[in-house]
Amino acid sequence: MSRARPARRLGVPAALSAQRLLADRGGLAFSVLFYVVVVSALSGLWRAAAGRAPVAGYSAVALTWYIATSEAAICAIQIRLIEEIGDDIAAGTVAVELLRPLSVVAVRIAMQTGRALARLACLIGCGAVLALLVAGSPPSGGAVLLAVPSLVLAVAANVSLQHAVAAMAFWIRDARSAWFIYQKFIFILGGMLLPLEVLPSALHTAALRLPFMAMAYAPARLASGHFEPGLLLVQAVWLVVMLAAATAAFAAGQRRLQVVGG
Amino acid sequence: MTQLAATLRSSMADAFARRASFWSQVGTMVANDAAWIAFWVIFFHRVGAVRGWDQHRILLLFAVLTTSAGFVLGVLSNTKRIPQLVNDGALDEVLALPVSPLPHLLVRRIDSINLGDVLFGIVLFAVAGHPNPERTLVFVVACIASAVLLTGFLVATGSLVFFTGSGQLGDMSLHTMLLLANYPAEVFTGYTRALLYTAVPAAFVAGVPARLVDHFTVAKGAALLTAAVVMAVLGWTVFSLGLRRYTSGSAWSRG
Repeated sequence: MSRARPARRLGVPAALSAQRLLADRGGLAFSVLFYVVVVSALSGLWRAAAGRAPVAGYSAVALTWYIATSEAAICAIQIRLIEEIGDDIAAGTVAVELLRPLSVVAVRIAMQTGRALARLACLIGCGAVLALLVAGSPPSGGAVLLAVPSLVLAVAANVSLQHAVAAMAFWIRDARSAWFIYQKFIFILGGMLLPLEVLPSALHTAALRLPFMAMAYAPARLASGHFEPGLLLVQAVWLVVMLAAATAAFAAGQRRLQVVGG
Repeated sequence: MTQLAATLRSSMADAFARRASFWSQVGTMVANDAAWIAFWVIFFHRVGAVRGWDQHRILLLFAVLTTSAGFVLGVLSNTKRIPQLVNDGALDEVLALPVSPLPHLLVRRIDSINLGDVLFGIVLFAVAGHPNPERTLVFVVACIASAVLLTGFLVATGSLVFFTGSGQLGDMSLHTMLLLANYPAEVFTGYTRALLYTAVPAAFVAGVPARLVDHFTVAKGAALLTAAVVMAVLGWTVFSLGLRRYTSGSAWSRG
């Protein structure tokens, strides 16, 4: 009971953030439009590449569903989240949040996950319609169903890791460049732009062992017709690791913040 | 012209003032561009060629794009901030000066991070663009035309804020243009491809210039220059017309 209460309390900021996002119709329309443009361009490239023969075992249809899913998993999250968290830490805004009876990082992760899941619902809905129109039905109905919880795990793991990375601002007071580099890891090693099977063998093996694969590749692999439930387990393990990393990084940083603040 | 040069010198001095920050930002952008190159190299290594585009040609496209877009977003960085400047009332201080507002506004601020793009683009052309005097000349002229076109487009779409009050269309146009310019227009078909040569002329930003460097034809060169002039005139016209509707940034004068 005592453990369940903080978890329930975290549901409140998560739900409020989601409501706030859905209320901003203009901003949401902007996100959806941009997502549609990105998916149209990138999936168009992959369809052109796989027009004559499958690429690394992916057909043109599978690649379209792959890109619609991987882009939804990434576009759902605020693009400069690391930079914004870093700015809040550097400006001392985070010190005010220490007054709350809940962990700063837990509330922040809950809020950002709530926002991201609300946006994700809109994006993946549009992405599915787009993929149906330009490529056809998903290669496997069962695998697509597995992609839904996988997307939720992907978003939660990504938000958690971004908090862990942004905590560097407790020490160096600046995380502005970090989001740029972080995104590039997601683009290639996370499988956002391309299925990991397309990478050269050694890079493919390395990418499968890194946490970034849980953030775009796993749900996209499932949506592209590969019925591999084990991917959900891998994502769940990475989520626990990322949450622990973010909590530890913030705890260490907050101790330092108290020292700096006197 | 003298005032413009003086403003640009002052913006550059400001950008270079914090050397460590400047080089760290340039380095970040170079790493970002290198990741895109990695993507294209892996892509073409796996699929060979797609509709006439191979690794060599896509690297040329990327060299043109990073050089021209880096110049526009770095040296003329206010091209992407027109909606924000208008909504914040930041044009008041420019209108009080005895200079033409648009050119002064464009050179007033430099974003160091995008200078990394320019550096990357030039080095990429030197390494992968097989430069000789003729190709280098076409590359330089094509990059200038591409930069003029991109500036005109961003000014035109950003200036719509004078009429709509919202900057979201400008932001959307910027992101869409840069995203689509990353891909050869030949990848797309039908209406989408037609769109890339008309309403969102992303094909003229990098794809057409890259083809010109590889295989120059007078017709394609003339098409690129015409597109650049049309977009520059459009940008100037929309900004000038919009400026007539600009009253003041003072918070109490707005409803």
